[in-house]
Amino acid sequence: MDIKKNIIIGLVILFFLILWSGFFNLQIVKQDTYLQKSINNSIRKETIIPVRGLIRDATGRILVDNTAAYSVAVIPRRVSEGVLDSVVRLLRLNPEKVKAKIRKRNGFRPVTIARDVPDTSRIFLEENRLAFPGVITLLEPKRFYRDSVFSPHIFGAIGEVSPKEQKEQPLYESGDLVGKSALEKQYDLEMRGTPGVSYTLVDASGRELGPYNDAFNIPARHGQDVYLTMHYKLQAFAESLMEGMRGSLVAIDTRNGGILAMVSKPDYDPRLLAGKIDSDTWNRLLNDPGHPLYSRAIQSVYPPGSTYKIVTALAALQEGLITPDWKVTCPGYFKLGRRTIHCWNAAGHGTIDLYGAIRGSCNVYFYKLGLKIGLNIWEKYSTLFGFGRPTGIDLPNESAGLVPSVAWFNRRYGEGGWTKGNLANLAIGQGELLVTPLQMAQFAMILANRGTYYTPHFLDHLYNYQNGQNNPYPAEPHFINGIEAGNYDVVREGMRRVVDGGTGWLGKVPGIEMAGKTGTAQNPHGDPHAWFIAFAPFDMPEVAVSVIIENGGGGGAHAAPVARKFMEMYFFNRLIPRPVIRKKTPEEVAPVDSVIAPLELPALLPVLPALEDTL
Amino acid sequence: MKFRIDPIITVLVVILTSIGLTAVYSATHSTGSASIFFQRQLGYAIAGMIIMLLMPFISYRFLERASYVFYALSILLLLLVPFIGVKGFGAERWLAVGPIKIQPSELAKLATVMAVARYLSNREVNVNRWKYFAVVSLIIFIPFVLIVKQPDLGTSLVFLAIYLPLMYWAGLNGFALFLMITPLFTMLLSFNYLALTIWLLLISGFLYISRKKWLLLISIVAIHIGIGFATPYLWDQLHDYQKNRIITFINPEHDPRGAGYQIIQSQVAIGSGGLWGKGFLNGTQTHLKFLPAQHTDFIFSVIAEEWGFVGVTVVLMLFLLMLIYLINLATTVKARYASVTLMGITAVLFFHVFVNIGMTVGMAPVTGLPLPLLSYGGSFMISIMLMLGVAQNLSHNRYMV
Repeated sequence: MDIKKNIIIGLVILFFLILWSGFFNLQIVKQDTYLQKSINNSIRKETIIPVRGLIRDATGRILVDNTAAYSVAVIPRRVSEGVLDSVVRLLRLNPEKVKAKIRKRNGFRPVTIARDVPDTSRIFLEENRLAFPGVITLLEPKRFYRDSVFSPHIFGAIGEVSPKEQKEQPLYESGDLVGKSALEKQYDLEMRGTPGVSYTLVDASGRELGPYNDAFNIPARHGQDVYLTMHYKLQAFAESLMEGMRGSLVAIDTRNGGILAMVSKPDYDPRLLAGKIDSDTWNRLLNDPGHPLYSRAIQSVYPPGSTYKIVTALAALQEGLITPDWKVTCPGYFKLGRRTIHCWNAAGHGTIDLYGAIRGSCNVYFYKLGLKIGLNIWEKYSTLFGFGRPTGIDLPNESAGLVPSVAWFNRRYGEGGWTKGNLANLAIGQGELLVTPLQMAQFAMILANRGTYYTPHFLDHLYNYQNGQNNPYPAEPHFINGIEAGNYDVVREGMRRVVDGGTGWLGKVPGIEMAGKTGTAQNPHGDPHAWFIAFAPFDMPEVAVSVIIENGGGGGAHAAPVARKFMEMYFFNRLIPRPVIRKKTPEEVAPVDSVIAPLELPALLPVLPALEDTL
Repeated sequence: MKFRIDPIITVLVVILTSIGLTAVYSATHSTGSASIFFQRQLGYAIAGMIIMLLMPFISYRFLERASYVFYALSILLLLLVPFIGVKGFGAERWLAVGPIKIQPSELAKLATVMAVARYLSNREVNVNRWKYFAVVSLIIFIPFVLIVKQPDLGTSLVFLAIYLPLMYWAGLNGFALFLMITPLFTMLLSFNYLALTIWLLLISGFLYISRKKWLLLISIVAIHIGIGFATPYLWDQLHDYQKNRIITFINPEHDPRGAGYQIIQSQVAIGSGGLWGKGFLNGTQTHLKFLPAQHTDFIFSVIAEEWGFVGVTVVLMLFLLMLIYLINLATTVKARYASVTLMGITAVLFFHVFVNIGMTVGMAPVTGLPLPLLSYGGSFMISIMLMLGVAQNLSHNRYMV
């Protein structure tokens, strides 16, 4: 009996030791792990979404504001399949997308499944909260645009952070709303503010039982406001000028590089992409033949046409290959090898010097000049004036354009596969050369300031709510080295004559001495693009403008008036009535007989913000 | 004995019940109705205590003779359950007698133990002979089957759990015990052919040493091989939810929102308690209701969270003392009936304690077995007190033959 008893007692003690060791393992060995788990479990860390900074114009007028929107979120650990299904059906969401989203994160942190939910659905969910365990509604501000504010290409959109963006910026947490394009993206870190944290005691069903400990709570910090250099009134006017056209207008304050206006048409209503973005709207915008999602001002590249003759002229002058008195007789055509190329003015310009050639935009003069300077010098000066690389404006996804070099030609056509004809073409801004409207505006600024320029920028300053201080944009002057001021004076004088009875006479603002250059860029997509660049006033420049109207026709007839109206509004705050002048100046058209057929290029280089992964 | 009442059992019961009462109070504290739970549990405890303390005053002979009647009565009640039973938590387990609800399966545990003891008290009975072995098995298997049918898997397992200890205590020989235990291991190992092969070789070796008849030995090995091959097949026949239960037991994280949720939350509660615990009424897991059934099945997690490893050790020691005392008593008593009954009661208590506490740490499956004297619940409290009352009676009458 005793042996049996001892065996049984031994077994009982053994089993108790096993239990005891289990507790030892949990409570002593792994205590820290489980303590941490218990804190995560019972105390819910809630993020207080900060107020996103506003975007204001130079006068302080609010352009982009915030408004309340409600999101629906689920807590993956607590929501059941059935409840999820009914919510998905109620909100008409895509079940696969929602499930994929939840599968990625399987915890107690709420996952937003729908943004900017209509009030009826939100109220239904809130009233029947008990029927939807694990589903919560959250107040998540969305962008609100004041009436008469458009400019989607300046402001951009916000959306949910993508995994790629999270990798690039570790500050972003899953589910955060971040700037996706334009200024919202550029100044996201400044505008987003700092999220606050509040700790709440919750029970297993997710019910809040009250605050945990106020000492741990951190209030959210308001994001910084972005003040723009522009007066929005002028921007809105510029947009109205370009209404119904395809093209772009860029105006820069030549004294500091601040953007005064930047228009890209066609565009879209930024309200369409505020809050939630439904795929119908998105696809409509994406597939619109007018490509409203592109910011033509910084993303589209065009051949600059005759506006680029100024670069050729400056190169020739600086290299000492010609003096302003260098004369060419234009009979209306030019013989290159066995081919005859016509000037746009078939009657010919007669014998002209450089001033006359700029004023009349004589192709023959610049063909000869181009052949004289050669590709290497042409490329050197093109690069010097900022072409072929982004200007560094404070917007994302800026295009660099293209300045072809000898190496580029050799790569593309093979050595000997290209001729002097290519060079002649480049000299008048045709062919493989591609620029953005912003680069042309920057070039106008450089000419206006005789080599001094500033990086174009929208931001005037940031206003910090915490310390009440303004943080200005560091607008530092840059200088183009290696161009003598006298050479600028030559081309500036030529450009003054362009608007003073030359091809750009329609761009002349009465009472203001100014300079400009027209361009009519032949392209494979139909009518030539109308270009006009200008700056004013001539002696003390304030504003530099570039205008392009896609397939608009002659630059003097179509782009110059747009620039003029803009400048009139800038200088006089009104449009100036004009007497009807009948002037027998032949209209500049594209070089009809180009040496080499214009390069076939995609209409637009797609550089798009990734909005697809936004809800 | 001067007093009829066994002081050690009584003291241990008072201490454990008090610990249980404080734990129930703490576990239900956040519901705002802690006093109701506490008062009810206090009522059950006092009622149970009175029943326990009255039991020694019943005649030993009456107890012995009433065993079969008691058994028959509880079998009858079990049979009635499907017809007039009240729905409990999804299963028909309760019988309503006026305002009182009773669980026949709780009574059946004690009744079965006493019936087996009564049968074995006959000197002719030798469990090593087929006839008697079969009768003892039958006494245990009838309530087992009835309770499985209810269905109450947890409680039915209690009957399987007392089977072996009772047989062992009744003097079943080692070879028979060997034959009863080894098939379990064969089933467990049948999913791994290498392990199964080694195991079968071990069995064969052991059987060879036993020097029994060849035919018998070969047939035993054949049965084992049969079990080894049948188990994986039968496993495939199980419903998914049945498989899930077993898989969840092995790996709670497998199903964090279902049954595994309870185990995870229980482990979090226990682990976060640490050495000294979070203090009375300070267990966040418990009070925020992360822990389901915290005042019934998972009461021990509450104790572990609030009183820590120290509290756990104390409660485990108290249970261990109780069990060792009862085992000792089972060897001290003169009568075979008393001895077997005490061993049966010990086995029931041990099984409940081990499975319940093991469940909270994730060492045993979630079966819904409550913890004696600590878990909230009237029927179970009374039935445990009844068992301990019988133990008190037998302790008082330890010199009866």
